[in-house]
Amino acid sequence: MRGYRALARATARAALTYRFSLLLGMGAVLVQLVALLAVWRVILEQSPVNGFTWPQMRAYLLVAFAAGTVVSILGDFRMAFRILDGDVALDLVKPVDYQKARFAEALGGLWIEVLLIAAVVGVTLAVTGGVDLPAGRALALFAASMLLLVPLKFLIVYVSTLACFWTQNYMGVQWARLAVVNLLSGALIPLVYLPHWLATVAQWSPFAGLTSTPALIFLGRVHGPEALLLVAVQLGWVLALWFGARLVWRAALRRLTVNGG
Amino acid sequence: MRTARLYLRLLGAHFRSMMEYETDFLILAGATVLMQVVNVVFLSALFAKVPVLNGWTFWSVLMMFGAVALAEGVGSLFFDGMWNLAWHINRGELDYYLVRPYPVALQVSSAALGINGLSNIVTGGLMIGAGLAHSAVEWTPWRIALGVLLLISSVVIKLSINLATNAVCFWLNSPSPMFAFAMHQVGDLARFPLSIYPFALKAVLGVVLPFAFISFFPIAYLLDTGSSQWVGLLTPLVAVYCAGMAALVFRRGLRRYESAGN
Repeated sequence: MRGYRALARATARAALTYRFSLLLGMGAVLVQLVALLAVWRVILEQSPVNGFTWPQMRAYLLVAFAAGTVVSILGDFRMAFRILDGDVALDLVKPVDYQKARFAEALGGLWIEVLLIAAVVGVTLAVTGGVDLPAGRALALFAASMLLLVPLKFLIVYVSTLACFWTQNYMGVQWARLAVVNLLSGALIPLVYLPHWLATVAQWSPFAGLTSTPALIFLGRVHGPEALLLVAVQLGWVLALWFGARLVWRAALRRLTVNGG
Repeated sequence: MRTARLYLRLLGAHFRSMMEYETDFLILAGATVLMQVVNVVFLSALFAKVPVLNGWTFWSVLMMFGAVALAEGVGSLFFDGMWNLAWHINRGELDYYLVRPYPVALQVSSAALGINGLSNIVTGGLMIGAGLAHSAVEWTPWRIALGVLLLISSVVIKLSINLATNAVCFWLNSPSPMFAFAMHQVGDLARFPLSIYPFALKAVLGVVLPFAFISFFPIAYLLDTGSSQWVGLLTPLVAVYCAGMAALVFRRGLRRYESAGN
């Protein structure tokens, strides 16, 4: 356990050392927040669309921003380069579990991300107006959903990064993942706006848990048993991906060739 | 002429080395196409529920997305090496370029080739084409010539901003082009009509980093939409200004360059 804690602290320290990069790294999610806020403000000023009012959409986009920022310090590029360079061999000889070690690193930067999110959400609310908090039970469920989002997002990034054992091109894999996640998680546009079949696919995919589920619970658009079911789906995917990732890892190791030492 | 021929030969060498990794090549090209498909799905889902955004239809916003993709694509396919400038400076590798009888900026930009640019040029071109096909523009020879001029200017603006923001690394001493990349992402804001943004953002995108001249202003002029169409006619002037500024920033930066010693 001490080993994992040390890894977690190391991520935080690295993130704080490269503060400038950390802020610039948030750029993509921040730009998307600004663009979508501007688009929806213009559209929803006249009348609600699909039952979304402007304050609701604002809250939705802020949850999407928070969900997009969490677990992004995790150096998936670093992990990718270590696999591509063969440095991963050094990780293999360490007396810690590889998957848990990467998870610990992802968790290490979490508190910094939460602070950044709080700052951006605070500024946005100050500029554009307040947001209604959900009532007690829904708030608890929202918190649970956000907590599940952390391992879920880590696992999706982790599994896609393992693709580096098969391809030299991590950038392409990362771009493809970002595009799919952006659409199917509902971060780009709430799932109800998508064609029905696509929305259904997205709803049951692991990606919905990355934005849509917590955001809809926060808005009170799903509640009661339905909300519980969505959170259960999130949990199911976390478990499935955690053990699925182990299988991928085992297959990946068999492909690993490291030249020299 | 000689400069252009040499440039293509420099790029060709990278193209050949890239073709050695065929799967990688396909993954990168495929991922970029996927990103544009997601953009189109997003736009059609949005405009399925709302017919117009501040007077702009689906097809005109699609053209703006296309223009940004196309300009980005030309930058990636032919000038991707700019993004490695920070790394070269940090490692002191610029020495080699300085002793060769060829413009340093061109050596830098030809030092890599991003095949993702090809798919962005194709998908961006398709988006612009589809948008134009659904617009009511009356094509006269003069208008076609103007359209081509606006398109070239738009690409030049994107390339100049890329070069200038990457050349900032001469001062930042960071090994990665984080600053340029963040500015590149700010450019994504220009995929939407400028009129939806608050004043401060309009000023940034219209004047400070004129991303709006890549997509919004020229398209507003061509499609005859919006309240300040005449601004689109300034696009070629903005392009000349941006290219000049980029050259200036690069030259100033190069003078600061210190070799790592060999």
